[in-house]
Amino acid sequence: MNRRAAASGLALVLLGLAIFAWKAVVYDLPVLPTDPEGLWRVELAVSVRGSGDRGSVRAPLPSTGPGQEVYDERSAADRLLFTIRTENGDRTAIWRGAFNGVHDIAYGFRVRLEPIVTPLESAAGVPVPREITERHGRASREFPSDAGEIQGVLSALALPPASDVAGRVRSVYAMVAHEVATSRGGPDDALIALANRSGSERGKTALLVSLLRGAGVPARPVLGLDLGGGSARETLWAEAFVGGVWVPLSPNGAFFAERPAHLVALRAGSMAGVEVTGAEAVASRWDALREHLRSEELAAMMVPPNRALRATSLYRLPVETQTALRLLMTIPLGALVVAVFRNLIGVPTFGTFMPVLIAFALRNVPVYVGLLMVVSTIGIGVFGRLVLERLRLLLVPRLSILLCVVVLGVAAFALLGRTLETRALFSGVLFPIVILTMLIERFSIAAAEEGLATALKRAGWSLLVTVAVYPVLRDPTAEYLMFSFPELVLCVMGVLVWIGGYTGYRLLDLRRFRSFANADVAPS
Amino acid sequence: MSWLRTWRALRDKGVLGINRRNAEYTLRWNPRSKYPTVDDKLLTKKLCARAGIPTPKLLAVASHHFELRALRQAVLGLDSFVLKPARGAMGNGILVVRAREGERFRVAGGRSIGIDDLSYHAAGIISGLYALAGQTDVAIVEERLEVHPALVEITTEGVPDIRVVVFRGVPAMAMTRLPTRKSGGRANLHQGAVAAGIDLGTGATTHAVQQSRPIEKHPDTGQSLLHRTLPGWQPMLEFAVRAADETGLGYVGADMVIDATRGPVLLEMNARPGLMIQLANQAGLLPRLRAIERGWRPDRSVEERIAAGVAIAAGAKQ
Repeated sequence: MNRRAAASGLALVLLGLAIFAWKAVVYDLPVLPTDPEGLWRVELAVSVRGSGDRGSVRAPLPSTGPGQEVYDERSAADRLLFTIRTENGDRTAIWRGAFNGVHDIAYGFRVRLEPIVTPLESAAGVPVPREITERHGRASREFPSDAGEIQGVLSALALPPASDVAGRVRSVYAMVAHEVATSRGGPDDALIALANRSGSERGKTALLVSLLRGAGVPARPVLGLDLGGGSARETLWAEAFVGGVWVPLSPNGAFFAERPAHLVALRAGSMAGVEVTGAEAVASRWDALREHLRSEELAAMMVPPNRALRATSLYRLPVETQTALRLLMTIPLGALVVAVFRNLIGVPTFGTFMPVLIAFALRNVPVYVGLLMVVSTIGIGVFGRLVLERLRLLLVPRLSILLCVVVLGVAAFALLGRTLETRALFSGVLFPIVILTMLIERFSIAAAEEGLATALKRAGWSLLVTVAVYPVLRDPTAEYLMFSFPELVLCVMGVLVWIGGYTGYRLLDLRRFRSFANADVAPS
Repeated sequence: MSWLRTWRALRDKGVLGINRRNAEYTLRWNPRSKYPTVDDKLLTKKLCARAGIPTPKLLAVASHHFELRALRQAVLGLDSFVLKPARGAMGNGILVVRAREGERFRVAGGRSIGIDDLSYHAAGIISGLYALAGQTDVAIVEERLEVHPALVEITTEGVPDIRVVVFRGVPAMAMTRLPTRKSGGRANLHQGAVAAGIDLGTGATTHAVQQSRPIEKHPDTGQSLLHRTLPGWQPMLEFAVRAADETGLGYVGADMVIDATRGPVLLEMNARPGLMIQLANQAGLLPRLRAIERGWRPDRSVEERIAAGVAIAAGAKQ
């Protein structure tokens, strides 16, 4: 390598790293993507079928409260009137109208969740407000705290004195969590669950609330969503009023006096979920997706308070531009990979940046789907070209016909993706069809001119480089780094200067000229 | 480790790698503006005519699709010819017609094609199918050259060509490429043609390789490949050097054919000559290129420079 190239490369790399370090160390920008835990987008989808009658759909809505902040609510429903009713601080969504045919109802919100930890003190002197005792201390049909069985269990538990509220809660919790089995599809009724020593989540929650009320502790059920495990599932738990706060208790022993951050409370005091009157509910489901910080939230975090750095921060751009640029900023990395393969390894490919473009277009689908698509599209194209060959058409129209064939092939993929319900195939529609058409042409010529083996070999190398570029373009960390620290492109350029100035052997040179190494003994 | 061993061996022998060839030779000594004359065979022909260097006779040209009709008429009056793109790369798109029977042509490799196939091929050439950068091209028809008797024994199909690499006006290395059955009659080393290194001083073959492996006998005829002296070696060196001077390129390969009747004929010039020539000679180019650079002096005659190249090649061998 000549000295000038080495020095220029070094200068670029150092300049890039210096700006990077400045931002990271002085202004404390996070070097790795930071995504605060507990940010979710939750959606409810209900399908209702009716035959002309008026009716309504009611769904409990979450409110902002301890451990959860709800915002960005949205609702969509065709041909129905949407209202939100607030009663005693509980919110209910109501969609009403004449139900005719199938109606799809959607409701979504964003929520930021934090775990709740409640100190469980004996809370002897704290008086319980009267409305709490009235609403949550009395026996009801759902929570028969005055039933003989409940009273019998409570006396058998030998509870601590009434002044030790925390002790009483602990004993009752231990009994329900550990002595009554949790069974899916088990009894939903408190007394039956108690008699069977086995109950559903609902039955055990009812039992827990009943026993607590029986023991003189105000208690209520909470209907909520469990967002753990990548999906949203309706779930129930109990809360006991101790020392002026509501203490969450899991009916199946999952948590006690703390609520994990994957639970959202939809409504306290009732176990009723989505209710439909005047029509038939066809389907009802909750979905949850991990959310990222919104661009303006992120921008507030990522734009350093320095005038020069502010001016060059990509986070100040409009959101759509940001989305496009995020993808674009990874392309230098792809080019770097190609340069390594071409100039250091010496791999022959069809077209210099064809692998990058293909990897770029396929970055939304898993690698095997992408490769399958490329290979089968080339297959269709090469076959089409063989057929076209007989017609003896001129080059540009022939290429254009190939392009049509490739477009049809991609459309077929999209259809296939739809019938297979595979979004992976569907999202590949962004396919670089024009590039692919050129690839087909080049492949066909190489096959005709230099033999199928050579053409296949070069296609194989091209795909190999594609596969190598692929993870770089897909990696969210790489994307984050390049977008947040665009000065890293200078580093990439520096490394490229080094590669460009490297005049040593390529790896495949060594293979090509290996007979020189064996000819040491030959006389000259 | 064997990679490392190969690396050392290559470095010790001064084998030129692709990166160094590009950076220190083609990029440095071949100005981009001079490429068109070597990339376009018609321009090369003109240049050679000016310098008095023989080239294959041009029989017909078609640079637009409407000229194909005239091209068809022309080839129907010929018995054998070569149809090729003026700006083809790596010998792509070349059709060698050995004999004509009415409107059918027997091409190298034994296939027989009709006049329609032929003009379709010519149309592909004009559309730029085989051109270096896909630009529109010119289809040219040239006389077909015959294998010189001295090389018949070591040629199966097609015509062997001779390449001389010229650096700054001084011949550095030479080889001959002998088509085989495996290469389909083409002098393409990647497809299995044999490459034989040539001693610059004597014009005799010294080593031979096929697909990077050293061999001694032609794989098809079984005749020895070594110690065969090429006829007309001195004029060939002269053509190569003079053609290189004409092109203005500092690092260039001159491809020639020895025709049975016409003798040495210059086919084309190559601004990015390949590196396999080193394998064929079992010698690295670097020591010779460096020696040429060290001994470079302006205003030397062609003869002086050839003598210098020969001396350097001989010296590098010791």
